[in-house]
Amino acid sequence: MCGTQCASALLAAIMLLPGSAWPAPDPGPGLAPHMDFVPTPAGTYQLQRIQQCPDAVLLNPSAATRRLSSYTRGKVTLLTFFYTYCTDPWGCPFAYQTMKTLRDRIAADTSSRSRVRFVSVSFDPSHDTPDTLRAYNQSLGTAPGFEWQFFTARSMAELSPLLDGFGQDVRVEADAAGRPTRAINHMLKLFLIDGAGVVREIYSLAFVHPEVMLNDIQTLLMESDRAAMQLR
Amino acid sequence: MKTASTLSLQLLQGAFAALVLTALCGVARADETCNSPYMSGLIKGQEDYVHVWTLGVEGMGDGFDKLVTIDANPSSKSYGKVVHKVSVGGRGEAHHMGFTDDRRYLWAGGLDDSKIYVFDVGSNPARPKLVRTIADFPAKTGYVGPHTFYAMPGRMLIGTLSNTKDNGGVTGIAVYNNKGGFVAKYDLPTGKIGGVQGDGYGYDIAVNPSKNVMLTSSFTGRDNYMRDIGGLIKDEAAMKKFGNTMVLWDLKAMQPRQIFSVPGAPLEIRWSLNPGDNWAITAAALTSKLWLVKQDGAGQWQAKDVGTIGDPSKIPLPVDISITADGKGLWVNTFMDGMTRYFDLSNPEAPRQTYEKQTGRQVNMISQSWDGKRVYITSSLLEKWDKGGADNEQFVRAFHWDGKELKPAFEVDFAREKLGRAHHMKFSAKGAAR
Repeated sequence: MCGTQCASALLAAIMLLPGSAWPAPDPGPGLAPHMDFVPTPAGTYQLQRIQQCPDAVLLNPSAATRRLSSYTRGKVTLLTFFYTYCTDPWGCPFAYQTMKTLRDRIAADTSSRSRVRFVSVSFDPSHDTPDTLRAYNQSLGTAPGFEWQFFTARSMAELSPLLDGFGQDVRVEADAAGRPTRAINHMLKLFLIDGAGVVREIYSLAFVHPEVMLNDIQTLLMESDRAAMQLR
Repeated sequence: MKTASTLSLQLLQGAFAALVLTALCGVARADETCNSPYMSGLIKGQEDYVHVWTLGVEGMGDGFDKLVTIDANPSSKSYGKVVHKVSVGGRGEAHHMGFTDDRRYLWAGGLDDSKIYVFDVGSNPARPKLVRTIADFPAKTGYVGPHTFYAMPGRMLIGTLSNTKDNGGVTGIAVYNNKGGFVAKYDLPTGKIGGVQGDGYGYDIAVNPSKNVMLTSSFTGRDNYMRDIGGLIKDEAAMKKFGNTMVLWDLKAMQPRQIFSVPGAPLEIRWSLNPGDNWAITAAALTSKLWLVKQDGAGQWQAKDVGTIGDPSKIPLPVDISITADGKGLWVNTFMDGMTRYFDLSNPEAPRQTYEKQTGRQVNMISQSWDGKRVYITSSLLEKWDKGGADNEQFVRAFHWDGKELKPAFEVDFAREKLGRAHHMKFSAKGAAR
């Protein structure tokens, strides 16, 4: 059980992050995702090359150290940051449900499932230990043949550059008296990364449209296929 | 039907010509409801600070463009006072700003030198800090005059006004990542789409993710906006070079799908943020008209003239609009007469003016808080287009709005405080104020 002391330590660590004084995200009216259009067909557009994916040394659920770059290359990767006890309905639980829906769709496609992976990295190393991740992971169930990796960090100091590199803001919410709570506010973002480790799309709340995300994944797979054809 | 170019020329050759032109660059998008809403931390309550991107004036203070921060919280001891300023060490026609998606950084552009300054506002909103300068924007993009900064996840859309080849109005949209790296560029269409001729001109950007569309509007090139107003109005050929179109884009593909003929330099674009609404509104500066872009019953996008602003024959010149968070009301500033008007948008097909007040001798930008209770106004258009003499007021004026009357709250005299020409505004808040 992680109480106020733990929260204070977390707050102190997160206060080191750029922009940590920034207020909580608030989706606002009309900003929850709503899709009222036919998605642009996969392969008919190019996704922007937004930035190179940053790297970090992380811990997997077995407490083994792993370089993130080993999990952001070679496949199309959908990556997000989360924390296991998040209760914001438009935060981590929403991202998880979206990813689970996408996983089930992709896993059912034998031509795609081995070419796509998901990565979830915890915001909160102090609470989300490897043991916690393992229990969380087991509760999610699996999809045969589909890779979904979970990571935490050894410390906030080691995680902080990764968050900054992705441009992922995070802040501990304070109560009315200004005391830190267990709520970590962050802007929901899912990062779509191509096989070369380049971030090609970023989905914040208003842009989380699973059909579009599937098309984007397919677009990157088709792009990879074309590149492979050209090399032959 | 008269073309917009012909119409604008006739207007400008009339009795109001000089004053008309001072307002043509109604370059202003400056309030909480006109921020890209697809970012975090929209301020629903009391804003703590108003940041003002300010044009430097030679001989006034240090003469440089600067970001001026004003305390806007009535409970503060420094309410209504300038609490901080950051000079950028040059004068490049400071113009517009936009927050990144995480609202930690404020990007601000210069229309003359095409530099982009990135201020850290998140670490301490009371004391913004210049952390990055992008000085090679024209070389990277081929575009000139970074105007609109519109946040998308992890990156910034930058609407521009001109180009490096001829300084005319044909331009495009640049995309940079939040680290300041160039990502992509997209030219505004110059060919025909659906039988409508594109002019390639650019101005504002506004996105609607639920429809997967982006709208752009059109103004004029550097040759015009950096030219002395007296010479410009006498140049018939130059006066034909103003935008007459809006473009609807496939947002995912970043490809233009439809061009609308919207005569008279359509400027700021505001989507209704009311859930379920499927329309945006804009004001055409030269014709003093409100235009609605809306899906018809068949789902096809249409643009139509839905009303006038003031008496177009008197050339009120709408230069900025500000939509309420519920999409039911619209503030409009008209530069010529210094009027601030409020329109009831309950029926966007038929906007109805319900209030007006003269708020200055020259007014440009208007910004309202998310709750609509506070309204802020600034005075400046462009260095070479602002009025002269006593009419050249430079200020930020804050008002309370109770639904019936604008009541003065505070004013900062930017000339007396040797700051410069007050232009674009953005709000920030401390965590406890949210």
